[in-house]
Amino acid sequence: MTDEVESLDPIVRWIVTEARRPVQADAAARARLIEAIKAEPVPSRGLRLVTWLSEPRRFVLPPLATAALAAGLVGVGVLGGLAINRGGRPAAVQLPAVAAGQPQLPDSLAPRAVKFVLIAPQATNVSLVGDFNGWDTGAAPMKAADGTWTVFVSLQPGLHTYSFVVDGSHFVSDPTAPISPDDGFGHRSSVVLVRKPSL
Amino acid sequence: MRAIALLSIATSISFAQDTRDPAADPLGRLDPSTRHAVEMLMDSAHSVGLPYGPLESKALEGIAKRANGRDILVAVRRVFRALRDARTALGPSATTDELTAGAGALRVGIAASELSLLATTRNGKPLTVPLVVLADLVTRGVPRDTASLTISQLWQHGAADDDFLALWRSVERDIVSGTDPGVALLNRAREIPAKGPSTTVPPPATVRPEDAKS
Repeated sequence: MTDEVESLDPIVRWIVTEARRPVQADAAARARLIEAIKAEPVPSRGLRLVTWLSEPRRFVLPPLATAALAAGLVGVGVLGGLAINRGGRPAAVQLPAVAAGQPQLPDSLAPRAVKFVLIAPQATNVSLVGDFNGWDTGAAPMKAADGTWTVFVSLQPGLHTYSFVVDGSHFVSDPTAPISPDDGFGHRSSVVLVRKPSL
Repeated sequence: MRAIALLSIATSISFAQDTRDPAADPLGRLDPSTRHAVEMLMDSAHSVGLPYGPLESKALEGIAKRANGRDILVAVRRVFRALRDARTALGPSATTDELTAGAGALRVGIAASELSLLATTRNGKPLTVPLVVLADLVTRGVPRDTASLTISQLWQHGAADDDFLALWRSVERDIVSGTDPGVALLNRAREIPAKGPSTTVPPPATVRPEDAKS
């Protein structure tokens, strides 16, 4: 090692010699440094957390890990949505109209779509409400032609209770269909049975 | 950046599924206490194997008809009890439609024993239509005993759904024309051909309004 230094350029040899020379530190410097550190106020835990959270960071993810993370997040979103929907009630599936029948207990097994008719020449608007549309007065507005109001609604097989709403507030049972017992609210509703299609 | 974009998409999907369908919370228009009570009844129905759909539908019907919360709860409770009694009368194999129709028959005053009699002689045939017709006839003014006995006899002698529907149409037409409801039923029932042993429904010549109202 010494021989190597001796063979160096004088300037470089001087630098190496200076670098190897022990530093003569002030004996009181360490004590002063410790005192200075102790004099600094200790930041609170909350401040340290805020500082840690607010410090900018740089994450580097390989494409594969990015895709896996994204897929996981999408999965969480979908599962969350499913969990929310499971808590609700199943909504009736609205099928497209395939045939028309009378608003009465149908004789045929095939039709799933039912035509509802109400003759009300004096009415300005009529809608159909029932258990198949949550009794929503805006779900099935009827169209008028010469005082005859009609609407087609696709119904699930089964027994359904329904009523007509005339001019937004008058509930009228269907004069051409069986009626259900008192609804508990001072009106009578009608009943339609949609039978399951034969297989 | 891509991760942030995908996170936004996933969050949007989640929120969209939560808010896309107002029907997801159909009872949201009820006041909190009524809603809680209705949902408790629905849960009770579900826990004992009864359909809760008719209970929810009744609550929504009440909302649409602008009934107050108390009346809605009373109506829903009445449906719950009727469904429970109908299941007892018709047996555990009764379908949802049969329970709903049976509940309607009970609500117009048909005895549970009459429903049980129909159920024991069903031979696999659905009871929905006879029960709907039975409830309708009583609602239109046919005496309960007359309606119950007539429907029961037709049922036991093999009448089909179409027979009951034809009977209902004829009786309804006669009642609108001014015929006494009980007489109309007895007269029209005689027109239905028996598909089993001969029916015991009295012939129309022997039926008087006061008899039909007994």
